[in-house]
Amino acid sequence: MNRIVAVLTRELRTFLVSPMGWGIIIAFLLYTGFAFMLIISVLIDPRAPFINPFRFYSESFFFWMFLLFATPVLTMRLFSEERKTGSIEMLLTTPISEGEAVIGKFLGVLLFYIVLWLPTLVYIFLLKDKIDFDWGNIASWYLGIILIGAFYLSVGTFASTLTRNQVIAAMYAFIMSFLLLLPSFLTFIVTGEPLKTVISYLDVLSHLQEFSAGVVDSRRLVYYLSGIAFFLFTAARSLEMVKWR
Amino acid sequence: MLEARSLTRKYGDFTAVSDISFSINEGEIVGMLGPNGAGKTTTLRMLTGFLPPTSGTVRIADIDIFENPKEAKKQIGYLPENVALYPEMRVEEYLYMRARLEGIRKSERKKMINSAIEECLIEDVRHQIIRTLSKGYKQRVALAATLLHKPKVLILDEPTVGLDPGQIIAIRKLIKELGKERTLILSTHILPEVELICKKVIIIDKGKKIAEGTLDDLAKQLKGEETLIVQFKEKVKEETINELSQAVKAKNVYLDNGTIKLLVKEQDKARETIFNFAVAKNLTLLELSAEKKSLEDIFVRLTTQENLELEEEKQ
Repeated sequence: MNRIVAVLTRELRTFLVSPMGWGIIIAFLLYTGFAFMLIISVLIDPRAPFINPFRFYSESFFFWMFLLFATPVLTMRLFSEERKTGSIEMLLTTPISEGEAVIGKFLGVLLFYIVLWLPTLVYIFLLKDKIDFDWGNIASWYLGIILIGAFYLSVGTFASTLTRNQVIAAMYAFIMSFLLLLPSFLTFIVTGEPLKTVISYLDVLSHLQEFSAGVVDSRRLVYYLSGIAFFLFTAARSLEMVKWR
Repeated sequence: MLEARSLTRKYGDFTAVSDISFSINEGEIVGMLGPNGAGKTTTLRMLTGFLPPTSGTVRIADIDIFENPKEAKKQIGYLPENVALYPEMRVEEYLYMRARLEGIRKSERKKMINSAIEECLIEDVRHQIIRTLSKGYKQRVALAATLLHKPKVLILDEPTVGLDPGQIIAIRKLIKELGKERTLILSTHILPEVELICKKVIIIDKGKKIAEGTLDDLAKQLKGEETLIVQFKEKVKEETINELSQAVKAKNVYLDNGTIKLLVKEQDKARETIFNFAVAKNLTLLELSAEKKSLEDIFVRLTTQENLELEEEKQ
């Protein structure tokens, strides 16, 4: 446990003391700020029907664009940088296991991801007198944001064990994330059963819409948690393979 | 304390280390000597459990490193050849993180860090960011990190490579100090470094162990007997060969494909005698050379390498 905390703290710290970390925070705030502004401008139109702003956000391109482009950037340096500088040799010759190293790095980047989303709570406080919020919905929406984010971060963690080159690691993560988002894009095309049911299990974006409506479906929890476990396990095995090459 | 048994490591078709075995007792300071590319780093990586061997075993304090890596790694302090720290951290923070990774209890961390800082003489940079340190200081910080958990075995891979002469002297002094109460393995391609620090030496070349022993033993082995290879154009009779061997006081004579091999004690004198013998008997001498021993060969290469590097430094 202590070893996981050691890796986690170092990861989180690196984000918070590096210009890159703050660059990501600023870019993210600009991006969500823009989304917020857009949503408000639609909502204040008196002719518009009332829409839950979180549902609105989940249905828009904002979230999947973020998943596709931001999570690979967050995870790309996790292991590829260590492999490139050679510090991985120091890390893995301490009594830490590959699994602990992977979990530590993953939790570190996940915490930074959560830090990234924290300022968005401000938007809710800005709106709370104007719109009648259901706090349960908001909580479940944030749960969805964290679960789905964690899933994509685990994909990126795996991708960063595959190469010494950060840019290539980001590309791998991007491609895998794209494949995982594909079912969401296919929902518009596929109409027949049983394909439609299968896709509904994998459709990340409609899952987030469910979360925004306050629905926490255990099938979704199983999907994301097992997905995270799978990618972290694969990352640990891949790290062991690094030693064989 | 440390036992390596028939370690072999292949990278694809290339065999980097082939069937190397040795054992090191508690408190010994052992130098692993070999030219660049001999397989030193690969061997050390297998000792530390970073690299799984293709075959063979490593036991540290009687714990197999591949069966029980966690426990075995607790006994080792390893300084890799390429010292890569986390440059954005401060020295003290880095050591704190390493202490945590080593599983040192919270109550003891401060004490362990302070003693490592003291031992490696880095008190004056403890609050500095690692990126801003000189190479010599980075080496000391890395060395301090390997000492934190009080390992029984210290493994240092080429600890003086890339340092300037002043730093090299300081680091060597530090290593000598550290070896006083620890089992220590030091890999290097620099002969004087071994002479200065180590009592025992293991020589590796082309992935194989060539010799092992104290430096005195090896030196004796080198200065001792030598085999001379002699070849005449004419076919020589057995009595002539006997006569020749008596002339040079050869300890042993054997024939090999038309060449005569003579085991002699004083090489230079023997050469002279052989030449005069050939003239007297009216024989044409085609070859007169000393058989290269791999150990000597490697010493020659190690010393020439050192000289080349010194010359480069001068320029």
